[in-house]
Amino acid sequence: MSEFVENLVNAKLRNMKAMRNIYEVGYVSKVQDYIIEVDGLEKVGFYERVVIANHSMGYITAIERNKVKVALLQRASEIYVGDEVVTTGFDFCAMYSRSEIGHVVDIFGEDRLLGEKFAELHPCDIETPPIPIMDRGIVKRPFYTGIAGIDLIYPIGYGQRQLIIGDKKTGKTQIAIDTIVNQKDRNVICIYVAINKTKKNIRELYDSLMKKGAMEYTLILAAFNDDEPPVSYFTPYAGLSIAELYMKEGHDVLVVLDDLKSHADIHREISLLAGKTPGRDAYPPDIFYTHSRMLEKGCQHANGGSITILPIVETKGGDITDYISTNIISITDGQLVLSRKNFEKGIKPAIDYGLSVSRLGGAVQDLHMKRLGATVRRKFLSYLEMKEVYQLANVDEMSLEMRESLEEGEKLQERFLQYKFSPRTPAEIQRDFEEVVGEVE
Amino acid sequence: MAENTNNQENAVEGKKTKTIYTDEGVVVVDEEGNVVSEEGSGIESGPKPVGKIITVSELTISVLLSDVKVKYHDLLYTQHKGREIYFEVAEIEGNVVRAIPFQNVVGLKKGLDVFRANKGLEIQYNDEILGKVFNSYGQLLDENTIEKDETRDVYDRHLSLEEISLNGGILWTGIKVLDFFAPMQKGFKMGLLGGAGVGKTVLIKELIHNVYAGLKSNSVFVGIGERSREGKELYEEMKEADLLDKMSIVFGQMGENSTARSKAIFSGLTLAEYLRDEKSQDVLLFIDNIYRYVQAMSEINSELARIPIENGYPANIASAVSDVEERINSTEKGSITSFQAIYIPADDMTDQAVQTVTTHLDGQIVLDRKVAEKGLYPAVDVFNTTSKLIDIEKIGERHYTLVEETLKYYSRYQELEEIIAVLGIEELSIQDTNIFYRTRKLRNYFTQPMFVAENYTGIPGEFVDIDDILDDVEGILTGKYDEVDEGQFLFIGTINGRKSKVSAE
Repeated sequence: MSEFVENLVNAKLRNMKAMRNIYEVGYVSKVQDYIIEVDGLEKVGFYERVVIANHSMGYITAIERNKVKVALLQRASEIYVGDEVVTTGFDFCAMYSRSEIGHVVDIFGEDRLLGEKFAELHPCDIETPPIPIMDRGIVKRPFYTGIAGIDLIYPIGYGQRQLIIGDKKTGKTQIAIDTIVNQKDRNVICIYVAINKTKKNIRELYDSLMKKGAMEYTLILAAFNDDEPPVSYFTPYAGLSIAELYMKEGHDVLVVLDDLKSHADIHREISLLAGKTPGRDAYPPDIFYTHSRMLEKGCQHANGGSITILPIVETKGGDITDYISTNIISITDGQLVLSRKNFEKGIKPAIDYGLSVSRLGGAVQDLHMKRLGATVRRKFLSYLEMKEVYQLANVDEMSLEMRESLEEGEKLQERFLQYKFSPRTPAEIQRDFEEVVGEVE
Repeated sequence: MAENTNNQENAVEGKKTKTIYTDEGVVVVDEEGNVVSEEGSGIESGPKPVGKIITVSELTISVLLSDVKVKYHDLLYTQHKGREIYFEVAEIEGNVVRAIPFQNVVGLKKGLDVFRANKGLEIQYNDEILGKVFNSYGQLLDENTIEKDETRDVYDRHLSLEEISLNGGILWTGIKVLDFFAPMQKGFKMGLLGGAGVGKTVLIKELIHNVYAGLKSNSVFVGIGERSREGKELYEEMKEADLLDKMSIVFGQMGENSTARSKAIFSGLTLAEYLRDEKSQDVLLFIDNIYRYVQAMSEINSELARIPIENGYPANIASAVSDVEERINSTEKGSITSFQAIYIPADDMTDQAVQTVTTHLDGQIVLDRKVAEKGLYPAVDVFNTTSKLIDIEKIGERHYTLVEETLKYYSRYQELEEIIAVLGIEELSIQDTNIFYRTRKLRNYFTQPMFVAENYTGIPGEFVDIDDILDDVEGILTGKYDEVDEGQFLFIGTINGRKSKVSAE
């Protein structure tokens, strides 16, 4: 028994020696929602994890001349001015265990359905340095979503960041879910990052992925909308750090970020509360960098692994030119725009083919798909434009060429229709569209 | 802190001292309890610290100075967990300095010693820069090495009025819509403006392909706040095409912090100036994207808690842009011709940053989302696209009148579109009907297959001669091609050599 105690004491001593300034104590001097100010912590490090009044946890966001600022991450009970704040010697980081795949978890390594922590949690840095340019490979392997409108004309490759953008209830999340389901047996690890979603949303998502057998290879990393805002803010970064872990081992990872507009709003809230100067639409001036460093984690690594990211952004009134949307569009490798008008007309997926873009395009398709895709895209776009300009013109007086392309366009429109959970293989897509436009050499 | 020095002298004279081992390192104290010397852990000996950290936030630190004086743009560093973290002085108030970090500051704490580097921010200034890729701070990114050790301060160069020269002949880019509406001259600054995802980067890459590969003159590419993926692709493409040996590249991409993004341009300019001043070259300078420089300055401004102007831009936005743009000029020795991509935030052309940059330009190509939506690439808005060369004396009467005539057609077409939406095409006069159909043909004609977009469009790129462009435009305007279907003009080079996808079918 005494040996046991001795070991314990030695271990403790070793720890204390290894971690300098453990148990430095300060006192809360101001509480402002989830930002608290603390006096008396002279030697705490930037980003260090601290414990408040033995029940809550936070990290250092700023070291000022006579005080430090702490952002709360977990609050178990009320915090009073004068409460003790204890430093830990550890930088704040997420906790992750490989057995989390298949579960709904938070960044602290807790199973959100069962409410218990996983065994064998490992620390996982929330922010990692950018992936060096020279470690990147070329994005060229086709990543199949199973949706014809994407795989054929706005294709995605492993390592691409493709934004899904549209109004409420236009099927944004559904496209992401369909994509996850289509990764079955393709050896892709999927991470669905839920930012500011309701518990009901997450339950539904979990159930539908479970039913399709997709939870086997999927991790749902969720911040509920009643978590502390800094947690929601960090969740997507943590999701990408976990993805980076797998990518560096050579795995292919898909990360869905649902959604970044909420994330931008949370960042705005935290920044304004911390007294930073607001910029356009009251977002802080570093809002671009907030998302650019996150989405730059998406890449085809030279070692063969990759992180493909599907960020989601919600718009109002179909306006994709607002500040946050254009910021994110200027980061991603293309955008899939969903239109409410199409959705209401029953055109599903409700892709707006005029506004959508894939910057990589044919570079991530095989030769046949590329040729077919280019032909279909050009024909379909000119059909949409023609339909708009000549909507009042008399069809009988049109040139034969024009009439033919109108008819062909309508047929293409039909071929794009596809309901949820009904993925098509590349061969099926090619067959369906070659029936309309003929075989491409 | 002269007192400190005194104590040290006393210590040398043999005063009694006591050595205390704290968790911060070793402190030597004399009898009165004054600190005689201090050593941080892990640092045995070395340069004398200039001060200590007193505040830390994500993008700034403050340092309380001892008796040293530092100046704006001095480089400071501190050591933490075996790595050196560099800062650049951004503000000095009494004996407190505020500095912006080059790296992540996680883990920094109050009281850490801060040292001053021997030199400020410098980059290689010798003939080994060609074929190399640098980061914003002048470090090489690939496995190459540079033997020579001639460097220069990146802020150092200012041109006098006397030095500036306005030389240069017309520079054809081979891109129809550019050469026609906004011709380029050697020594020009041409802006490529566009919102998110309308094709700025593709156009910059096409210009690199056509102008740089065509001229084979030296060039510098500066990537600021853009995608690392595109950076890597550019590097690989240049390497594959054996074009890297005449190009220097600087990357401060969007994954990097605001300091890196704000410094890339200065490093890039210094490289371009070396080629111009020391090698007497005509240099091509590609900047993608100059807006990101202003954006990074806004972030730094906000971190320093300075009062911003509208939309969060720094109050010194005009001088910050001038610091860069005034260095991009030609001298008697050599010229710098620059193509600068400019991002338009929230599709707002009146944005302060965009307006500030465009005042420095000799011409601008504006890309429009409405044109891109129709699948017409390059998605140029012809009304806002212009160049100082559009002048009878410079490009000749024929080119000038054709541009005027074409713009007249385009603006009438815009009005007609509205009329047609209400009344239908049948109601138009013969003259208007002609304008309507011919403008649609012109619009299609000004699309072009791009060399660098071949992967996407599946159509090989084309370089079009200006004389052919003028002939073709004249032909369309005079009705020579009235019988040809408008679809035939899409993504072709010249009308007679028309062999695009559309006619191939």
